Amino acid sequence: MASIARKNLFEDIPRFLVAQAGIMFAVSLVTIQTGIFDGFTRTSTTLINSSQADIWVSSDTMVHLGLTLPIPVSQLSQTQQVAGVERAEGLIFKTPLWRDSGGNIMSVVLIGFDPQGQLFTPTNITQGSMKALSEPYTIIVDQTDLHTLNLQQTGDVGEIASLPARLVGLTKGNHSIIANPFVFTSLESANAYGNSGLTSNLDCKLQKGSDGIKCTTTYSKSAPTDITTTAPTSVKPAPPVPKHLTGNDLITYILVRAKPSEDLQTLKHQIEAALPSTRAYTQAEMIEKTQTYWQQRTGIGFILGLGAAVGVIVGIVIVSQILYSSVSSHLKEFGTLKAMGASDWVIYGVIWEQALWMAVLGYLPSMVLCLGLAAWTSATQGILILITPTTAIAVFGLTVLMCVGSSIFAIQRVIRVDPAIVFKA
Amino acid sequence: MTPAKINCAEKATIPSQVGSSSTKLVNPKTKAITCRGVKMVFTSGVERFQALKGIYLEVQKGDIHLLMGPSGSGKTTLMSILAGILTPTAGRVYLLGEEITSMSRSKLARFRAQNIGFIFQGFNLFPALTAAENVEVALNIKGIWGRSARKQAQLLLEQVGLGDKAMSLPRDLSGGEKQRVAIARALSGNPKLIMADEPTAALDSQKGHAVIELLRFLAKEKGCTVLMVTHDPRIKDVADRVVYIEDGLLHLESKE
Ligand SMILES: Nc1ncnc2c1ncn2[C@@H]1O[C@H](COP(=O)(O)OP(=O)(O)O)[C@@H](O)[C@H]1O
Ligand SMILES: [Mg+2]
Repeated sequence: MASIARKNLFEDIPRFLVAQAGIMFAVSLVTIQTGIFDGFTRTSTTLINSSQADIWVSSDTMVHLGLTLPIPVSQLSQTQQVAGVERAEGLIFKTPLWRDSGGNIMSVVLIGFDPQGQLFTPTNITQGSMKALSEPYTIIVDQTDLHTLNLQQTGDVGEIASLPARLVGLTKGNHSIIANPFVFTSLESANAYGNSGLTSNLDCKLQKGSDGIKCTTTYSKSAPTDITTTAPTSVKPAPPVPKHLTGNDLITYILVRAKPSEDLQTLKHQIEAALPSTRAYTQAEMIEKTQTYWQQRTGIGFILGLGAAVGVIVGIVIVSQILYSSVSSHLKEFGTLKAMGASDWVIYGVIWEQALWMAVLGYLPSMVLCLGLAAWTSATQGILILITPTTAIAVFGLTVLMCVGSSIFAIQRVIRVDPAIVFKA
Repeated sequence: MTPAKINCAEKATIPSQVGSSSTKLVNPKTKAITCRGVKMVFTSGVERFQALKGIYLEVQKGDIHLLMGPSGSGKTTLMSILAGILTPTAGRVYLLGEEITSMSRSKLARFRAQNIGFIFQGFNLFPALTAAENVEVALNIKGIWGRSARKQAQLLLEQVGLGDKAMSLPRDLSGGEKQRVAIARALSGNPKLIMADEPTAALDSQKGHAVIELLRFLAKEKGCTVLMVTHDPRIKDVADRVVYIEDGLLHLESKE
């Protein structure tokens, strides 16, 4: 039909723009919500994806990546004995307190791994290198967390559990909107941070001959067995060199690489049989368990889905309204088409064509907008809004459905038009 | 295409009959339009209004037939029924030998597309489309698409003397030009019937006359039957036959 739909579409530009704004609102909301959901799901397992392990071994109490009980390091060497295991490395996961140079404290996620190992590498190291972590008390953090941790550049120092932590590198994309900042360090440093158990004690006295109060912070080991550092008056003792992990030290996970062509399910059972009170998971199972936990725990799918639904409803209302008013102002033309013998399908076709143009012209700019926004948030906020091709295609399908579906009221209007309208002057 | 003269000759021998009983009517197959006992009652709420009170009418093939009468007498209502746009409360209508009053809605739409060209008092052009596109839409409905439709549209516009206005939008055309576009559109696809409701009412008398002369010329050339509703007594001289309607009844017929 000679472009009636397209011409009707552009005939009233303000009305057209209102329709496009409505569609763009719906498209953007659905895309961003889906993107946040996918991004959230993806980032909740960034750390698992940083590992090249085939199997993760944990305490059998493990709930998700960040919530489990420790296992003794002796189980690492036991794992290495299991036939079918090519390589096994320890991984420490802790949530100690970070204390920045200004004295502010916050929780961080501390990940201790073997910088010389092969089974764990933080993704996207942008500055410094993993090797630098072999130095005691050194850390790598994500560049988007620098501000939160009150760090500016490599070489800056903070404290973890009262031990120094010197920044030696940066990563990109190791940031989760649900977790505290990730701090990567070596197994030895992580062990030291975890076991320091230092308690601080603030002691304030009125100074003689002055108005001021003098306060001293004293640090003490809570563990009475360690006699060498119990001197209550010592202020900030030089930290002991972190020791190698030995049998009684605790780690969180054992990362396993299977021998080539080993059946992972069988190997899992062999490992579980060899190590009491442990569970073994393939990398995929580990990802699944953690993602499921977060999705259920936060109800994020429901919340974001609700937001997306609101977008679609607003879109439907606006598009319905605009199509209805557009058709209403062309009733006589539709009546003329009917009088001239156009079939119902021809008339639906004109309305649907108009709806389709609205869908396409609303979708394209929204998608550009969303991709831009996603790039911007990921660069500046470290929040991943993941817009996959599948999402883009699905949202386009939804947009078309929304616009064509919204034409139902307009079609009703045309069907009910009094045919004699054509003879009214 | 049947030459117009043959139709005119045919018409001269068989007088049209008005108000006679159905038994006296000739076989509707030989007529362009046959209308038997058509009644139309409009109801709105409790109010009933009988706009047509039993109309009998025959129109010969090839005739230019005028339907005249005062405002509110039922001219438009009758034309809508004869064109298959409105369903009468009672009575039958035959067009080109087929009873349209018993056709399904979709079959009737196809019948209109194939056989009837419309001309309206208000032109009813698509304001967003050019003159050529307006004609093309009608061709599209008749199943003629693409380049063929574009060529035919241009040809029809040339026939109504608007070959150079093909790309103009209706708002850039004068009233007379708009009605000529409407004539080109009505003639597209060579319909056998043209239904025109007060085609000159929106034009001054001189332009109106020119438009009607053009319509008469093209209709005769193409062998179309024309049923035209008008108020305008000056059009009578282009008609083969004139009928008068008043208060929902055909009163008398004359060819002055
Ligand atoms: N849809 C309708 N509902 C109610 N009354 C109508 C309707 N259409 C026409 N009428 C009435 O029928 C009568 C004839 O109308 P119409 O055929 O338009 O007259 P004309 O075309 O001769 O001026 C008028 O009195 C008009 O008010
Ligand atoms: Mg009228």
